[in-house]
Amino acid sequence: MLNAFIDGLFVVFQWNTFLMMLLGIFLGFWVGLLPGLGGTTTLALMLPFIYQMTPVEAFAFLLGMHSVVSTTGDITSILFGIPGEGTTAATILDGHAMAKKGEAGRALGAALMSSLVGALIGAFALALAIPVVRPLVLSFGAPELFMLAIVGIAFISSLSGQGGRALLRGILAGLLGLLFALVGQDPQAGVLRFTFGQLYLWSGLDLIPVLVGVFAIPEIIDLAVRGTSIAGELPRENLGRGVWVGVKDTFVHFGLTVRCSLAGTFIGIMPGLGGGVAQWIAYGQAVQSARTNEERAGFGKGDIRGVLGPGAANNSKEGGSLIPTIAFGVPGSSSMAILLGAFFLLGIMPGPDMLDKHLVLTFSMVWTMVVANIITVVISLFFLNYLAKLTLIRGTVLIPFILFFSFIGAYTSNNHLGDLLVLVAFGFLGYLMIRCGWPRAPLVLGFVLGRIAENNFYISTIRYGPSWTLRPLVLVLIALSVIVLFFPFMRFKGRPLAGGNVQ
Amino acid sequence: MKMLMILFISLVLFFANAPSYGASLYEGKTITIIVGYKPGGGYDRYARLIGKHLPKYIPGKPGVIIQNMPGASSVIAANHVFSIAKPDGLTIGTFNNATVIAQLIKVEGVRFDLTKFAWLGSAASDAVILSVRSDLPYRTADDLRKAKQFVIGTTGPGSSTHDFPAILGEFGGFDFKLVPGYSSSADVMLALERKEVDGRAGSYDSIKPFIDRGLVRPVIRNRTSAPGIEKLPVDENLATTQQGKLIMAVNAVPTQIYRPYVAPPATAKDALKILRDAFANVLKDKDLLAEAEKGKMTIDYVPPDDALKVVAEVLGQPPDVVKVLAKHIKFGE
Repeated sequence: MLNAFIDGLFVVFQWNTFLMMLLGIFLGFWVGLLPGLGGTTTLALMLPFIYQMTPVEAFAFLLGMHSVVSTTGDITSILFGIPGEGTTAATILDGHAMAKKGEAGRALGAALMSSLVGALIGAFALALAIPVVRPLVLSFGAPELFMLAIVGIAFISSLSGQGGRALLRGILAGLLGLLFALVGQDPQAGVLRFTFGQLYLWSGLDLIPVLVGVFAIPEIIDLAVRGTSIAGELPRENLGRGVWVGVKDTFVHFGLTVRCSLAGTFIGIMPGLGGGVAQWIAYGQAVQSARTNEERAGFGKGDIRGVLGPGAANNSKEGGSLIPTIAFGVPGSSSMAILLGAFFLLGIMPGPDMLDKHLVLTFSMVWTMVVANIITVVISLFFLNYLAKLTLIRGTVLIPFILFFSFIGAYTSNNHLGDLLVLVAFGFLGYLMIRCGWPRAPLVLGFVLGRIAENNFYISTIRYGPSWTLRPLVLVLIALSVIVLFFPFMRFKGRPLAGGNVQ
Repeated sequence: MKMLMILFISLVLFFANAPSYGASLYEGKTITIIVGYKPGGGYDRYARLIGKHLPKYIPGKPGVIIQNMPGASSVIAANHVFSIAKPDGLTIGTFNNATVIAQLIKVEGVRFDLTKFAWLGSAASDAVILSVRSDLPYRTADDLRKAKQFVIGTTGPGSSTHDFPAILGEFGGFDFKLVPGYSSSADVMLALERKEVDGRAGSYDSIKPFIDRGLVRPVIRNRTSAPGIEKLPVDENLATTQQGKLIMAVNAVPTQIYRPYVAPPATAKDALKILRDAFANVLKDKDLLAEAEKGKMTIDYVPPDDALKVVAEVLGQPPDVVKVLAKHIKFGE
């Protein structure tokens, strides 16, 4: 076991493998930066190139690319308020708010460093989990997955802001998100729901146009209205120097970073929860780390912890999501499904063998993720200061580019005009929500968890009848969701407990 | 002078060597293969593999690009190739093999007629099987008949994971309990592994790795066979009524044209001939076959006339039969 662990590292540093990884990193870097050009699609497009490679080279190439995408995706989210990847939207809330305060450098430094910590923890969790992976994953059936989704939804209470009124709005926004998740052909009876005769809506609303709409469009409008640069007319001293402050912030709040990394890894391990979820759970945790009401009110307005949490989680989940793929031959996400195709191409059968016969290869994958992230972060740190200066460019110059990338990004999800209409519609909704003081995070959380909750609830009920509610893990998760739900009220005594019934 | 002579002769030889027939048709052009799904899925991987080797077999060596047009389980792509793409021989479409069912049961939004496409054929066929968890005592169809409330996980109506066992249960005298709602067939595999479900139906290609690994064993197949499962009982022979047999036969049609390739209706004759020949030849290409083998993709050429015949047969069913079919066969992912 230990031998394989070390051999895996040496394998990664063989020059041809290393070169392939560098190539992957280079590609992944740009894929992450550019919104819309997603990691999943790029993986699919790169598959034909691995025919001539050895398995170790191929995975160094593919994973090298895949594992830096979330890292550089954070950069776009922070600088422009456009999610660089579907998995980096939560970074926008506080990251972009910081950029607007002239602290882009600090936010970037924190995002990169927490990404690195997240990736390391995710990878080592993967390595440590290998002996217990199979029983762990198998103990989570449909009822448990449903309850995990409920735990996620319970985080709405933390994402909503303070007070009964804000909570009520949060819940309503969450329900609206769940409603949007219903669009499309339902998987139980094949009925078309809310498709209004549009073929485009059959497969439901796509995450990317929705995210870009809700987050980027309001920022673009805001930038146009203000008529200044992103960082506004604020003093500029902090801008560039902030990078190291951000790096240090990661260690000031190290406990939070580690907790969010672990949460991300766990969500990654659970097949079917998907990368969109981890960041929001992490953001919810970050908000809960606030000690006073004043601290809590600062979230969404540029609290560094709101950057650290999602930054760590969206990287650590990658280590986790490899687990079901290699241990069962069952992919945990769509990018892992494509990676599974790579396994076949290379003549390797994922499954128990990967934890035994091919253990060196498995560990080389772990190491690839670690090394790729270290390289990316170290290189990025050198020119983050220059990137931060982008926030000083006049809005009128910047807006055409941001708009262009937002529209292209949305369009790439289906290559259909409908993508653009969804983008505009959700952009309008997002703008309206901001103007009227409604939180956007619960909406997105409801949207990403809606399908998961519905499907697993249905499967649980039809398979086990009502008895599934008494499974031990389900009971534990029910307790956990209650804690998550009421946590904000337990912390801040003296606040009215109005509107507390989320479920 | 001598140099010029050599240059002249070599130029003549160069052009004389190029095939004259059809070369001008595709010379410097680009063929687009429209795929009805996002990148990364089975349809996309087949299209990319074929697209990579296709130029070799077309005079003039045109470029080939893949365009993904996902949505509505390929109906959007099929509609596009049917009525928007130009019939100039530069567009090829490949989409959900079950679009024939969509047309048959008149799914809302279908604006194509499969019998009017200029068919190139199908690149593969794929058996649908019902597999059972290996730790259960059911080895044969008869064993399975004795099972009570045999739980089968599915991804929902309209997919072979659902419709095949649903029809088999209804018309074959099996007591199946279907649990739809898994988000992918991989999720059903995991549910099998944690013993949440007892069996899974679906494409033999996709279940095969798990058979090899010993997680499940195949028990029943449809009329499309594949090496290794020839001897399994065919669902149609297990049907207890004539009507059931017919429904099973119709439901099996998409598996016979598993990876259909078509050009827009009324595609120019000379171009179509070139495309048809190229399609037939590329599927015999050694490099393509080697890559397909590596990627665990079955290649099994079905000529255009045969494909069209199967499609026409299904679509020619009388309305009262269609009514019954629509009750049992759905269209979806």
